[in-house]
Amino acid sequence: MDVKVGDMVPEWDMPSVRRERMRTMAAILRDPNPVHWDDTSTTRYGFEGKTINQGPLGLSYMVNMLHEWAGPTSIRRFIMTFPQAVLSEDHVVAKGEVTGIREENGKTIAEVDIWLHNDERGTLLKGSAEVCVSGEA
Amino acid sequence: MENRPMPPVEEIRALVGHQFPGGTYTIQHWENFLLTECTGTTPLPNGQVHPAAMFHVPILGANTTIGEMFELGQAENDASIGIESYDWELFKPLYEDVAYDISARISEADRVIQDDGRTYDRIQFIFTLKDPEGENAARSTVTWHYNRSRALMEK
Repeated sequence: MDVKVGDMVPEWDMPSVRRERMRTMAAILRDPNPVHWDDTSTTRYGFEGKTINQGPLGLSYMVNMLHEWAGPTSIRRFIMTFPQAVLSEDHVVAKGEVTGIREENGKTIAEVDIWLHNDERGTLLKGSAEVCVSGEA
Repeated sequence: MENRPMPPVEEIRALVGHQFPGGTYTIQHWENFLLTECTGTTPLPNGQVHPAAMFHVPILGANTTIGEMFELGQAENDASIGIESYDWELFKPLYEDVAYDISARISEADRVIQDDGRTYDRIQFIFTLKDPEGENAARSTVTWHYNRSRALMEK
């Protein structure tokens, strides 16, 4: 896989963040927070009629992007921050840019800035990843 | 949930070194299938677990819960937690039907007071997953902010 600094990772598109997936995720996580499944609980946070996506779900869109780019066993490290909430029905696009390349234990590791974009509110999540780009991790 | 009062800073700092009971966790196919579907993609090959599991598997495998982690930091309410960061290190891929041995501790805990009076307690949890051979498989570092709205109101 030929990768160089400045390369953009092919985008991964989530046309609409679905609230039923948040409900399933809440059960899997055993997460009692109602903001993920009760849209009346989010009014006081300014998100009336919306539910708030779980952090692991929001970042999973960037995981999917990296898997499609470099393979399912490629991710070595994933660091994510959460500047804005991802809401039900949001259209979000996972994006990434290669910022560094290094060799480690005979493998080529790409350092990638990653973020989740929404046309109305800009960058919702942002972070970085280390991805093995020299075949099976 | 009623807002509870802000705890003394000494109680927050005393959390450093807290060890969770620990234990094992085996990710079953149904759980991985549903989790992966929630992320908007199809299951990974060869029973590989979607990395989105790196949030809940360490927590549940350490024999704690999100609710207990809220309680340890004396969260004001369910919605007062802010995420500073999640740091997931995957030393090897995780797979279904493998019993991972999980240990966890609180590595940092302190109060932060910003110039505008916003106050939160910053608590960091580290979870380590070992495979049945005893090798490190993954590590999850969760850093949360326990926001204290009462401090701002009293300023």
